[in-house]
Amino acid sequence: MGIRSIDQRLCTGCGTCVENCPLDVLRLDEKGEKAYIKYIRDCQGCFLCEFECPEGAIYCSPIFEFGITKAW
Amino acid sequence: MGETIIIDDIDVLVVGGGIAGAFAAIKAKEAGARKVVQVDKGHVGKSGNSAFGAGVMHVLLPGEKDEDLSDRLKRLTRAQGYLVHQDLLQDHLEQSWSIVQDLEKWGVEFERTSEGKIESHPGRGARPIIMFHGPQLMHTLMKTGLRMDIHQVHRVTITDLLTHDGKIMGAVGFHIRDGNFFVFKARATVLAMGSTWYKGLLPAHRDCTGDGYGIAYRAGAILRGAENNDQISHAMPARFDIGPGLNMWQGLGGRWLNAKGERFMEKYNPVLKDQAGLRNIMYAFLLEIKQGHGPIFMDMTHFTPEQVQRMRKVIPLPTKMFERVGVIVKDRVVQPVEWMLCPPTGRPGIRVNRRFETSLPGLYACGEAAASSAVVTGLSCAATSGATAGINAAHFAHDTDKSSIPQDQVERLKEKAFAPLQRRDGFSPEQILLAIQENIIPYEIILLRKKDRMERALENIEYVRDNYLPEIKAHDFHLLKNCHEVKNLLFVAEAQLKTSLFRTESRVGLREDYPYTDNENWLKWIELKNEKGEMALSTSPVPIEEYPIKVDRDRKIHYVWKLAEKLNIITIKGGEVRWE
Repeated sequence: MGIRSIDQRLCTGCGTCVENCPLDVLRLDEKGEKAYIKYIRDCQGCFLCEFECPEGAIYCSPIFEFGITKAW
Repeated sequence: MGETIIIDDIDVLVVGGGIAGAFAAIKAKEAGARKVVQVDKGHVGKSGNSAFGAGVMHVLLPGEKDEDLSDRLKRLTRAQGYLVHQDLLQDHLEQSWSIVQDLEKWGVEFERTSEGKIESHPGRGARPIIMFHGPQLMHTLMKTGLRMDIHQVHRVTITDLLTHDGKIMGAVGFHIRDGNFFVFKARATVLAMGSTWYKGLLPAHRDCTGDGYGIAYRAGAILRGAENNDQISHAMPARFDIGPGLNMWQGLGGRWLNAKGERFMEKYNPVLKDQAGLRNIMYAFLLEIKQGHGPIFMDMTHFTPEQVQRMRKVIPLPTKMFERVGVIVKDRVVQPVEWMLCPPTGRPGIRVNRRFETSLPGLYACGEAAASSAVVTGLSCAATSGATAGINAAHFAHDTDKSSIPQDQVERLKEKAFAPLQRRDGFSPEQILLAIQENIIPYEIILLRKKDRMERALENIEYVRDNYLPEIKAHDFHLLKNCHEVKNLLFVAEAQLKTSLFRTESRVGLREDYPYTDNENWLKWIELKNEKGEMALSTSPVPIEEYPIKVDRDRKIHYVWKLAEKLNIITIKGGEVRWE
């Protein structure tokens, strides 16, 4: 939930999002060239990665991707 | 398993990278601690609640007089049903402006008047607030820590405290990416690990999993107030994962509507109306829903473009989120937004005294890791408590010898921390999390309480604890972190249910089976402690007669139940609430 995509054409692999993500959702690929979404179910939808990405490569959405137990 | 990394000879170890942790670390350093280490399971300054603070702070403003301090103290005291250390809250209010001065000095940006002074503005509740620029606050504090030579360790989750001769001597944990095992040997340890919302609906708080409570409890510390705190719940948009920013939206004049389009808050809080505090919003939401008037909406369509532009500065992240889903278009809010209550706040806080010492020598707690009776929810009290904890921890470290830890203890804790990686089969942390959420989040468990419902939830939680938790399994270090998080969440859920059952009255939490606020018998804190693996509950009296804000020692129907009776929503028969 939250993060939807990292545009692989725009990502430079700078690691800003990987460093900033509070929930460790994002990692760099094996070659260290591109960021990818590794643990999508841990995403808290905070938009910090999109906010901090210097390339504008990340797109987030506040619409739920899966159900979450609600108070009603 | 990675290698073991020992960080030795630490004066003050601070666990947690939010505002309480930042102030603890910086003030410890200023107070003379040589080696200060700050560790966070995410990234210092980017995780927890503080990084997503809704741009708003409650402080005693310059020019406010004794009666203003007294009024603020009265409101903070009433918000917790009088179960607070009024002396500590008074310390906090008196110190709160110096925190703002520190932040200014370090480069935090605030909203200012045309004369350049920090602007005060109406917020949620009766007292004005000041505004800062979202994530810039914690980013600045992180940089300040680095400048002051504080050793920041990122992505290391703390799993247990180190103890020797009854004293806390540091902590252990592992790196959630490479699996290296960290041993922090420290003279003094400060826990600033926040509280929890059970990873439920509350954007940007899903790393707050009550870790501080879990590790302090396992080490034998006394915890307090799991059933009662100043923010039992929060409110958020129901259909989108947006926020936090409610304080700001209420302050700018957001209006609550029910499904019929009626503005209902005046019925429940004729003075503050739509700007009422969270506890009042929670009560009003519950009663509106019970009457079949749900869902609830917030209407911000009357906000001016200037107000929306201010939102963008003070709470940039949620504003962007609203734009993304088309609620804000060209600096106008174009539609009311459906709202709901969040999961209950789990806060079995660590008991502290006026020096923020816990019941264990060498261990300090601040921010929401401490009991709400000592530290009210919010950034400013997290900061003042962090500062005091840091200073006292530095002094303690100065008078304490280098810590000596038996090696077998380290080995044992390491084995325990990595155990879920060794299992071939078992339950995933996700499965256990869902089981916790299903039993604690529905609003008729903790937000609206009754014995049979809470007992059923507790039975289920205990079943998960005894049957699933021993079989929890992870296949990498990230998921191993999640295993430790759900272990702590299970503990918090058990503590919250047991203490809520134990408090046989309505105070901050409403009980259908005990509609009275019982100041004759229940001006008491409920404390809990690990006694040979069992959760032992006891009470400790509130010395209300010694405090400036007093209350009669009588027994009255809770004011919300009284109001609900007047509105013909309930009747009280045989000492119980019946819904009409």
